[in-house]
Amino acid sequence: MSQLIIGQMLNGVIVGSLYGIIALGVTLTFGLTGIVNFALGAFMMLGAYTTWYFYDVLGLPYALAVLGAVCAVSVVGYVSDRALFQFTRGNLVNGLLVSIGMISVFEALVLAAFTTTPKDLTYVLPGALNIAGIILPKIKIVVCVVFLAVIFGTYLALTRTWLGRAAFSYAQNPEAAALMGVHTGRLQTIVVVYSTALAGLGGGLYASMYSIEPTIGSGYILKAVEAAILAGVGSVIGALGGGIILGISENIGSVFLPSAFRDAYGLVFLIAILLVRPGGLFGDRP
Amino acid sequence: MRYAIAIGLLAALLAPLIAHSDSVLAIAIYAFMAASLAVSFNLIFGFTGQLSMFHAASFGVSAYIVTILVTTFGWNFWLAIAPALAVVLILSLIVGTICFRFKLKEFYFAVVTMAFSEVLRLIILNWNGMTNGSLGITVVDRPSLWTPIGNVAISGGVAWYYLTLALLVVVYVVCHGVLSSWIGRCLAAIRLNDQLGETLGIDVFKYKLLSFAIGSVLAGLVGAFYGFYSGFVEPHYLSIPLGLDIIAMVLLGGVGSLIGPVIGAFVLTALPHVIELSAELRIALYGSILVFVILVMPKGIVGLIGSKRNAA
Repeated sequence: MSQLIIGQMLNGVIVGSLYGIIALGVTLTFGLTGIVNFALGAFMMLGAYTTWYFYDVLGLPYALAVLGAVCAVSVVGYVSDRALFQFTRGNLVNGLLVSIGMISVFEALVLAAFTTTPKDLTYVLPGALNIAGIILPKIKIVVCVVFLAVIFGTYLALTRTWLGRAAFSYAQNPEAAALMGVHTGRLQTIVVVYSTALAGLGGGLYASMYSIEPTIGSGYILKAVEAAILAGVGSVIGALGGGIILGISENIGSVFLPSAFRDAYGLVFLIAILLVRPGGLFGDRP
Repeated sequence: MRYAIAIGLLAALLAPLIAHSDSVLAIAIYAFMAASLAVSFNLIFGFTGQLSMFHAASFGVSAYIVTILVTTFGWNFWLAIAPALAVVLILSLIVGTICFRFKLKEFYFAVVTMAFSEVLRLIILNWNGMTNGSLGITVVDRPSLWTPIGNVAISGGVAWYYLTLALLVVVYVVCHGVLSSWIGRCLAAIRLNDQLGETLGIDVFKYKLLSFAIGSVLAGLVGAFYGFYSGFVEPHYLSIPLGLDIIAMVLLGGVGSLIGPVIGAFVLTALPHVIELSAELRIALYGSILVFVILVMPKGIVGLIGSKRNAA
């Protein structure tokens, strides 16, 4: 029993780190542009498909394929920011709807190009580790480590570099930040593009763990938004923490309770947290 | 504006005399029901400023209850509406009380209502014995209407056309009545500045809850009819995309006007049928139109026409 629980907890951490990396994008975008970019799920899906295309069709090595996918998704992110998102800054509902419109555009185009047949890349790194009776696929460990590294890297970049401090100052007081010489428009674009790149990375690595379909993004963006809110919007490490808490609560919940309701456990947890701490677990916003 | 609405209603009443095509009638029927949903949603969103994601859940729960009561327990259709609306009322009061008591606002309110609606969807999806899970329930019965010449089954396009038109009129009149009364002014105060409203002696909690409950019950009323017209109910009725479709209709038509959502619902319902494209490209075009409208016409079609706003 304890093995089952520990195994489920580890699985929760792995899935949670995937929630976390997209939640990080959600949190950053919300903090700096005031919109919740639901299209990040679609960007994740684009990342997964681009990775599949580079690896399976063009025959690039996997790492290179993921890197290429991140670049490609960032370009799409940049274009959509310039063309669309920059006009919805600070307007939550409009931003939400623009991103929802983009989801249907992206999903429909990918569907038209690659059909609904699931694509499979899960053979990239076969094999599993057996640690004291708990079996973990190698690829999941690698993916989790990459996600953790990227999230901590982002945290360091935000706290140690000029750009990161500019972002923090903007989140606190946009006008003061502009007066101190922060190019606020450029900063927002960078953050939007960076969050799409994170989603692209999430998608690229997702492709190595599960089979991909055009609709994978919608489930994950909901989880990511849940994670971001659970943690408290604006907290970088919190996004990871929120993702992992969500992943663990789902996995442990389905050990003791019917697993058909696994999506509900996280939601109930989220409602409970929000009612007790409206600012989220790690946030201080009222 | 009032004349335009009267002319529109008259045209709608006479339209079946001219348009005999079943597909045109079907589009109109779906548009009437979508418009009823959008108008009732706009009461919560446009006039009270609360972005509820619970609307599809109210709609779906009611559709399920009516269908199950009629098909499994053999109730009369009209009788089954009452318990369905009662359940929706209770659910909306519970969800609303939790959200408004804890003063959840904007995005947080949207997320918590979305979470409740997802939980309801999962319950319906997994309660196989009662709801037949993801397959849904097929509805073969048709409601009948008591007339002096006996019970007449409501079947066929024209009958449903008038029934759903009546539904839209009822929803519209209820919302109009609410908004033109003192309640509407309290709601407007809450939308503009709820803290100021509170200091002026408005019971913000009570009026938010009232608006949420009225809107949800009206959505439940639409749900009661929807399953019987479309011939089946499925868990998708409670899904987030349906809620987003409703938001899109309201925004396209114009937030903060009563007639706007009706126009938006008609455009968005008819549009996919007008465009002759493959399914994928149609969805892509639909998304592009949504994005375009929001960026270029933030006040929706009603704002574009530039007519005076309906009295709020």
